[in-house]
Amino acid sequence: MEFDDDYPQYEFMAHHSEEEGVVKRKKLWRVFWIMLAITIVEVIIGLYAKQMHLLDATLHSTISLKTIFIGLTILKAAYIVLKFMHLGDEYKALRMSILLPYITFIVYLAVMASIGEGGYSGDSARKNTMDKLLIDQQTKVRSGESGGHGGGHGVEEHGAEHGEKPAAEHH
Amino acid sequence: MSAHAEVVDAKEQWGGGRSPFGISYGKMFMWFFLVSDALTFGGLLCGYGFMRHKYPEVWPIPSEVFHHFPFIEASLPLAYVGFMTFVLIMSSVTMVLAVEAGHRNDKRKVLIWMFWTIIGGFTFVGSQAWEWWHFIVGTEHGAIRNILVDGVWKDQLIYGANLHYNEYGLPVFGNYFFFITGFHGFHVFSGVIINIVIFIMVAKGIMEKRGHYEMVEKVGLYWHFVDLVWVFVFTFFYLL
Repeated sequence: MEFDDDYPQYEFMAHHSEEEGVVKRKKLWRVFWIMLAITIVEVIIGLYAKQMHLLDATLHSTISLKTIFIGLTILKAAYIVLKFMHLGDEYKALRMSILLPYITFIVYLAVMASIGEGGYSGDSARKNTMDKLLIDQQTKVRSGESGGHGGGHGVEEHGAEHGEKPAAEHH
Repeated sequence: MSAHAEVVDAKEQWGGGRSPFGISYGKMFMWFFLVSDALTFGGLLCGYGFMRHKYPEVWPIPSEVFHHFPFIEASLPLAYVGFMTFVLIMSSVTMVLAVEAGHRNDKRKVLIWMFWTIIGGFTFVGSQAWEWWHFIVGTEHGAIRNILVDGVWKDQLIYGANLHYNEYGLPVFGNYFFFITGFHGFHVFSGVIINIVIFIMVAKGIMEKRGHYEMVEKVGLYWHFVDLVWVFVFTFFYLL
């Protein structure tokens, strides 16, 4: 633990008094309530996405859904990193050397690799290699025959429907 | 903020004789480790996004897959993962309160808050195991898939999901789900273990002797990182 140089004692710099602690704790709990509220909003939007027309097969609703969820997630992530991990209190040099390289790489990966490449990769012959039974099931689930998003019974019903014939073969 | 009592002139900051980042080397390397770990998770989630965009019409709908709640028969999509998210955020708060108590050299409070953090971590890992179990076992009815059995393609009734097939949709969803949530769950588990080690060190008075609780702060950074990753996993696997 002992060093021979006269560097400042960084380990002790974050120390604070009892009174300052009261203020800090209050701030931390406020962050907690904000994050809880964001999570509850996310779950509610997730449950009622269909009624809110966020699951329609239009570009507009897809973009709305993703913008809402990813936006709220990044907001939560910012609270965790800046408040809980105290990165907001660190020197700008440290903050930037952590955030800038990371954000640069991830924006590249997410936008170019994930959305761009993923969106068109194998477009033409893609469906030929897929299991027809899988396509059939998923088409039914998506067409709302299943009772829809949030119902949770759809897959089971289809499974039963299909299940009769081959089940006999196998048992 | 008062976190840094030292007043630094920007011109002298890089002049030598001090850390230009104003933190100890241990904390700095914890940060750089977390950046590299975050890149791993970022890469995995982008890989997930790639497949998600490649196969939009056969990707499992999360609320059709994850709608179970312990001890309740009803179908409650998102309720249980919402609870898991709450547990992890809550344990993040108790961790940051332990760090705050450490800054006041309050040993008793550090122990109390770290204890709750460990409890939260175990609750989360247990919940994830339960979630996996449901996903692997599947529904009572199962689904028919054309799969390879002993070298021959057959239409077969399958239940649940594993690395070969998935009754809820495209099999690759299962691969990504098991790998990413498993990798995250392993991080949580190792975080709990490290928390326990630090808890014992604090209880034995090692930090008190040193005069500071920076180890609590470092393990706290790791713990918050685990929470941070879960926030993204929650969004990409369960909401979108």
